[in-house]
Amino acid sequence: MPEKSNREAVLDKLREEALKVRRNSWRALHAAGIGHVGGALSAADLLAGLYFHFLRLRPGEPEWEDRDRFVLSKGHGNAALAAVLAQAGFFEESRLDEFYAYESLLGMHPDIKCEGVEMSTGGLGHGLSIGIGMALGARLQNKDFRTVVMIGDGELQEGSNWEAAMAAVHLSLSNLTAIIDYNKVQQSGHIHEMMGLEPLAEKWRAFGWAVHEIDGHDMGEIVDVLDALPLEADKPSLVIAHTIKGKGASFAEDTYLWHNNAVTDEVYEKALAELEAQS
Amino acid sequence: MSASANGNVDVPEWVSLAANQSRLSFGLAVTELAQRDDSVVAIGSDTLDLIGLRTLQKEHPDRVVDVGIAEQNAMGIASGLATTGMHPYLCGYAPFITARSMEQLRNDVAYANQRVVIGGACSGISLAVSGGTHHAVEDIALMRSLPNMTVVVVADAHQGWHATLATQDYDGPVYLRLGGRAVETPVTPIDANFEIGKADVMRAGKDVTVIACGCLVPEAMSAAETLEADGVDVRVINMHTIKPLDRDAVLAAAAETGGIVTAEEHHLTGGLGGAVAELLAEEHPTRMRFVGMPDEYAIVGPTGQVRDRYGMSARHIVDACRSLR
Ligand SMILES: Cc1ncc(C[n+]2csc(CCOP(=O)(O)OP(=O)(O)O)c2C)c(N)n1
Repeated sequence: MPEKSNREAVLDKLREEALKVRRNSWRALHAAGIGHVGGALSAADLLAGLYFHFLRLRPGEPEWEDRDRFVLSKGHGNAALAAVLAQAGFFEESRLDEFYAYESLLGMHPDIKCEGVEMSTGGLGHGLSIGIGMALGARLQNKDFRTVVMIGDGELQEGSNWEAAMAAVHLSLSNLTAIIDYNKVQQSGHIHEMMGLEPLAEKWRAFGWAVHEIDGHDMGEIVDVLDALPLEADKPSLVIAHTIKGKGASFAEDTYLWHNNAVTDEVYEKALAELEAQS
Repeated sequence: MSASANGNVDVPEWVSLAANQSRLSFGLAVTELAQRDDSVVAIGSDTLDLIGLRTLQKEHPDRVVDVGIAEQNAMGIASGLATTGMHPYLCGYAPFITARSMEQLRNDVAYANQRVVIGGACSGISLAVSGGTHHAVEDIALMRSLPNMTVVVVADAHQGWHATLATQDYDGPVYLRLGGRAVETPVTPIDANFEIGKADVMRAGKDVTVIACGCLVPEAMSAAETLEADGVDVRVINMHTIKPLDRDAVLAAAAETGGIVTAEEHHLTGGLGGAVAELLAEEHPTRMRFVGMPDEYAIVGPTGQVRDRYGMSARHIVDACRSLR
């Protein structure tokens, strides 16, 4: 069955990129000495799927007007975004060593001045509204580019998300997809202990979104849902990706302690060794 | 601070726990106040560790309400609580708890004149590596423009403790501007007296006055030392309360010294410099220089380096003083 093996080859390539996103995220965070480990690693597979399977981009021409738009609303995951942008060819991977450095365009949060970054983010709860504006801009100009916004689960506690959730449905923006990196942990603890979100899928369905839940670390499921977008005609699509905060580093998984933490030489070596064992 | 039997000075426990971070001394003082006063309640916004509220949460779980990443909601809840006689202490990041919740702040807290104390951590460009979304260099201007609001900028962790305790019986809403994660040089005494609205003259001097707040106070002290070597006698005022401004301290400096330099980690528009200039323009026109963040967004980088790039270091205060001579 050549088709199946072709799919496996595609998935293997994407898994390799995802592993590299994790390695490169650690590289950037180590260069910085401290940073948002957990939320970068939970998003790594999703970002690899988006940038190497879905988004239509021209890394050599970052301002190409028909490009798909991606907004990392949970901007503190910038180590992973920087990693995937470098891997996609927007800039040299060596620039990851300038994470947080003086005059660098790679800081703790994405900066619109950096090649490939569509919006400066970091203050939580902004991305979905911005994505609506981009999707609306496409429609008003008869363009077929698509807009994807990635939101943190803790970030959903900001009320602005729910204003945007209403607007996207009212405007029937089927060219807009939101992905929730549902890693169940925020800065100070587990979501359900801080300010619970459940029943999450039902909430979005009640707002009128087309909703699909996946394992955000299963590349097959990632690819399938991306290939199925938009999930329903005339509706915005929501992907709830169940993930693990700190995925790929045993010591950092499923704990708020690694939301933002110091990345010493020792931590870096340990993390790389664990990734090596997974490859 | 009291002397113990062996002659050593007892350093209170909060000093070491605060580890020279005013965001932590604020949390420790809120914890202390909660023990003294049943009406005190801390409202977090996913900030339990940022502000150091774990001890209070453990000892009095009902006195810490963290509403998650929802600053507007937190502000409204604080206002509602205050109307019932509770004394809420809101714990947030300076850029988000001010700008994000601005309408709740204006209507529900300032306009309704409710006793809400707002602690804003990571002010200025203390989180310089975070980039512009996380810098708070307009918060003094925003808060100062609200009637009823008291605005305090603490210079170090020691002052963070005393300023927070001073809000216990203080009327009306208060904004306490705190540092965050960057190095905070201790510059005020551990046992200093603190009175809201009463400036501290850190150094007497007759040639020129530097009026500073926050992390620029230690820079002003070191600038004064440099200038002393040149024979310039600098008065340094720690203007920890921006509103209500200590008019007497400003007017005395204008009358007794040859010019005034203001220094703050804030945009040059609408902050401490603006407050001082507004007073002096009417009451005692004085030659002034302003040290602060120019009208642009700061780049990313190590905090000290970024501060220096935008002209907020001791050497810039020295230059400003010299240019008044
Ligand atoms: C408006 C706003 N409030 C607070 C913060 C500080 N902050 C940064 S990350 C974070 C937690 C985010 O949690 P979540 O969205 O679950 O992200 P993830 O687990 O994916 O890292 C907080 C509170 C912020 N960046 N913006």
